[in-house]
Amino acid sequence: MSEKVFVLGGEQTDFQRNWTKEGKTFMSMMREVLDDALEKVGISYDEIKRLNKENRVAVFVGNFDAEQYANQGHLGAFLTEVNPALFGVPGARYEAACASGSVALDAAITHIRAEDYDLAIVLGVEVMKTVSSSVGGDFLGTAAYYEKEAKGVQFPFPKLFGKLADVILERYELKEERFMDALAEISRINYANAKRNPKAQTRTWFMNKEHAMARGGDNNMAVGGRLCITDCSQVTDGAAVTILASKDYTKEYAKKTGRKIDDIPRVKGWGHRVAPITFEAKKQESVGDKYILPWTRQTVKDAYKRADMDVKNIDVFETHDCFTSSEYAAISAFGISEPGKEHIAIEEGTIDFGGKKPINPSGGLIGVGHPVGASGVRMMLDLYKQVTNTAGDYQVKGAKNGLMLNIGGSATTNFVFILGK
Amino acid sequence: MREIKTVTILGANGAMGSGSAGVIAAFGGAKVHMLARDVEKAKQGIEAAVASVKTDTIRARMIPGSYDADLEKAVAESDWVFELVAESYEVKEPINTRIAKARRPGTIVSTVSSGLSIGRLAKAYDEDGQKHYYGTHFFNPPYKMILCELVTHSGNDKKVTQALGEYLDKVLGRAVVYTNDTPAFAGNRIGFQLMNEVAHFAEKYADKGGIALMDEIMSGYTGRAMGPLATADFVGLDVHKAIVDNIYDNTKDEAHETFKLPGYFQKLIDAGKLGMKSGGGLTKVVKHADGKREKFVYNIKTGEYDPYPKFDIPFIKEARQKIKDSDYKGAMDVVKKASGFEADIARYFISRYISYSLSLVGEVVDTKENTDGAMGFGFNWVPASAFVDFLGGPKETIKLMEQSKIPVPKLLKDAKEGKKFYELGDKLDARSLFKG
Repeated sequence: MSEKVFVLGGEQTDFQRNWTKEGKTFMSMMREVLDDALEKVGISYDEIKRLNKENRVAVFVGNFDAEQYANQGHLGAFLTEVNPALFGVPGARYEAACASGSVALDAAITHIRAEDYDLAIVLGVEVMKTVSSSVGGDFLGTAAYYEKEAKGVQFPFPKLFGKLADVILERYELKEERFMDALAEISRINYANAKRNPKAQTRTWFMNKEHAMARGGDNNMAVGGRLCITDCSQVTDGAAVTILASKDYTKEYAKKTGRKIDDIPRVKGWGHRVAPITFEAKKQESVGDKYILPWTRQTVKDAYKRADMDVKNIDVFETHDCFTSSEYAAISAFGISEPGKEHIAIEEGTIDFGGKKPINPSGGLIGVGHPVGASGVRMMLDLYKQVTNTAGDYQVKGAKNGLMLNIGGSATTNFVFILGK
Repeated sequence: MREIKTVTILGANGAMGSGSAGVIAAFGGAKVHMLARDVEKAKQGIEAAVASVKTDTIRARMIPGSYDADLEKAVAESDWVFELVAESYEVKEPINTRIAKARRPGTIVSTVSSGLSIGRLAKAYDEDGQKHYYGTHFFNPPYKMILCELVTHSGNDKKVTQALGEYLDKVLGRAVVYTNDTPAFAGNRIGFQLMNEVAHFAEKYADKGGIALMDEIMSGYTGRAMGPLATADFVGLDVHKAIVDNIYDNTKDEAHETFKLPGYFQKLIDAGKLGMKSGGGLTKVVKHADGKREKFVYNIKTGEYDPYPKFDIPFIKEARQKIKDSDYKGAMDVVKKASGFEADIARYFISRYISYSLSLVGEVVDTKENTDGAMGFGFNWVPASAFVDFLGGPKETIKLMEQSKIPVPKLLKDAKEGKKFYELGDKLDARSLFKG
């Protein structure tokens, strides 16, 4: 596995941008991010034309809900609008709610592993500022079981992840104050990390522990049970690209760009599991299990097994912190702590930027922003930056292997990838 | 980095005072003495500060007070005294004299001013005070507009400047631009040059569409969210006058004549029509009985307000479509090749803006990144250097300047072809400032 799929790099848009305000669309976003990514990686459109003649290149577009946000479907075909060099290149759109970027990555990885293509362009994209937050919240409800969990509910997802917080608290018999402090610390870390990331949505926003702890009131409203605004990631407009390649192509590429193939990271492991779609079913199924999200844990274990690795081998994590409660649950799913003891890892600084197992040095979804279909691709790009020592101000010192967890729905679709050199 | 635990804000009830206090109390975690003419006003400033940064956590460390009762005590225990009282020497100098008497050695004192001499204001202080005296020109509203022009004068100590710059950058999250003590500093000098010269052109072309036409020509496809004259109307014609008069009286550069206030601006000011804040100026919005709003524009010839016109200028439409598609170089190609007087005006002002921005390097700022930062973070305008890249590089830009009979700055003449001219790309994506 680890000798089959390489990552050559990529680029993301500035997640602070509001493309509707700029008078631009998802299409202009795709154009900018792909142009930027190819320039950064050093692959020209002529090169794509050359590969296409031999049917060696394909594109994979991750997107959740362009139909509702932008009144446009069939996004997989839209790279042909970016540049005529992409005429004829196989391309399709992949959807799995917030894991849409990962399902696109998964398809690309699979095709390269099967030796169908030598180069795969994976582009995740979502415009979300086209509608008000309440309308957008309703759109997002389709990532849950809409009829049962979202219909008529204002902001359904904070409520679902608020329930996750409730279950964690009850099952592990935690002291509420200590648990809520740990969640606030997750929020604090993600915002602080995002300050170092020049593409992060929240890099100029104010946030500290004191504010994250001040739940309730007009300035940090409750939005889902115990969870308040500071516990949530926020939607934004954004796109990200990562470019994957086969070993043969990577050898050519390394030679052309004067790099050593050993310095180019490869996908070492992956996991993909789907849990029951409703949160209630997840809760019922996990009664008696050590893990509240056993399928998330299983996805991580699958990836470790395929990579022949364990938590001790991973230097940096990018996780799906759509809410502080989802990052909390991920800590034990990764194996950083025992289930029920996540708060200790947080209190001891293990997951902080300078800690032993840093999570989300980029800022995560809470700090970088969460353009739904782009998040998985952005996470892969951030792992690439970390393991190639090109993350700039948010570089984790000496990172060699990284793991990402991207989830769709209320931890329903789970994707994990391990990237390393 | 300098540790700043206690701050005194003078002018705590103004929009800039409360907004700056909010940033300092939130990001800086500092205890802030909020001083105004009376305690009630100071309390209002505290609530405005809380609302501006949207966190109740700062309320407890903001202490209301009045100049008469609390200034000396507050200043004596402060690490930084940030003065934001009215923009005149007559108001600022006596306050500075009081601060000078009360401050401890090492305390930083700074002022928000759009154009007063920092060196002159520093004269109220002893040697240590002068060393620690600065202009910290925040932009409104401070939480959203992250620019801070850090204005130095000849009496400053470089080490203190560096420490203060780091604090403003790393702790308060400001985009710090270092400027010399010159009239209006960097952002306003460049911004108001363009706005005022566009205002003159509006008069010259009053028959052809005047104010509305000029804002159309200088609209989003030229790299700004708001037209230059709409911006003047937004900041207020009285404020506009104060800034351009100050620059006109105290500078002598290639654009000197363009800083003369147009006669119709003075006429509007005399009639109390100061812009949006007074219900009308260059434009006004009328709310009809059915609730619908209608926009009007001042007719420079007749002195009346006409309905705001719509224009159909083919090259602008084409350029806008290119911007909408994120084809920025394509949009600039359209501008370069278009014919007609509107296109000549667009090329003239694009050239003027780039030329004037770059010409101030050496006098107002030390590097072009400072003028680029001032315009990008302070005005949300595409920085001059980024424009050079979108136009196709230095040679193409020089060609445009020569066609428009605009002086070519040395910095551009010396620039290397084929290399990116804009160097702030990692901090500010200039593409986001074009509007399609």
